[in-house]
Amino acid sequence: MLVEFDLIQRAQAGDGAAFNQVVLAYRKRILGTIARLIGRPEDVEDVGQEVFLRLYYSLDQLRTPEVFEPWLYRLTVNASYDYLRKQRRRNEARMSDLTEQQVMMADASAGGKVSTEQERRKNVKELVEALLGAIPEQDRILLTLKEVEGLSLKELEKIYSVNENALKVRLFRARQRVLNAYQAVQKSGKQPVGSA
Amino acid sequence: MDQWNDELEQLFGQYKRAVPDPDASANFMPELWRKIEARQSLVVRVRRLTQVFVAAAAAICLVFAIFLATPNTDSQNINGTYVDVLAEAHPAENLTPLGIRTDTE
Repeated sequence: MLVEFDLIQRAQAGDGAAFNQVVLAYRKRILGTIARLIGRPEDVEDVGQEVFLRLYYSLDQLRTPEVFEPWLYRLTVNASYDYLRKQRRRNEARMSDLTEQQVMMADASAGGKVSTEQERRKNVKELVEALLGAIPEQDRILLTLKEVEGLSLKELEKIYSVNENALKVRLFRARQRVLNAYQAVQKSGKQPVGSA
Repeated sequence: MDQWNDELEQLFGQYKRAVPDPDASANFMPELWRKIEARQSLVVRVRRLTQVFVAAAAAICLVFAIFLATPNTDSQNINGTYVDVLAEAHPAENLTPLGIRTDTE
């Protein structure tokens, strides 16, 4: 836990300063998770604010300190999933839909300043997002939490409120599909990732 | 297969480094509180609207209950059977012009 339960209790009692402290403690971590779950840097803050907004209005339901973090992750997963679902409905590609990173890369390219490291990161990001795009959003989120965020099965069990075996099956299937997509990409002759 | 698995594992690790935890903008907290307050006022409005609706429904129920409970003073006391009431409403002399003859005639 990044904060004492006492602080959460004060936030539950309506102490705005305590709630601010809770947000400040978890903000960076939650924004990072959201950034990797939704893959659109320009919308990360909006989704992050939605997570903390939901936290604010559901804080009074929290009874034990052990469940605070899984609960916060569940709110993060739900808000990210809602965002991805809404995004799916928007089909048209617009200039404003370019990610910050794409804009940055485009600017840098124009000035001939793209560094090798930036290029490599961009390739990794695009490849992983394309691979994860091959599986349903719910599985994408679950797989990202496990493989990228490094959450354990026990933690995922608390977040999703389902038993470990069901999670293992879902994770295995999702990973298999991503693995197949990865193999197909590599066999099609693209450069191995990270070798640039 | 293990080689592919290892590569994928490595790729996920590189992805985490390629997309680091971002720093929030200076506007993050003020915007969050603005959203909290906006939703709070919406909740208050919905609650007030619900209270008004419940109060109005209760008042209407009360009016109907009073209306139904009040005895209707205009209604006549009905004595006798349905046939008696019918006979009283249509005296025999009124039926003759219509070609209806009664046993008493």
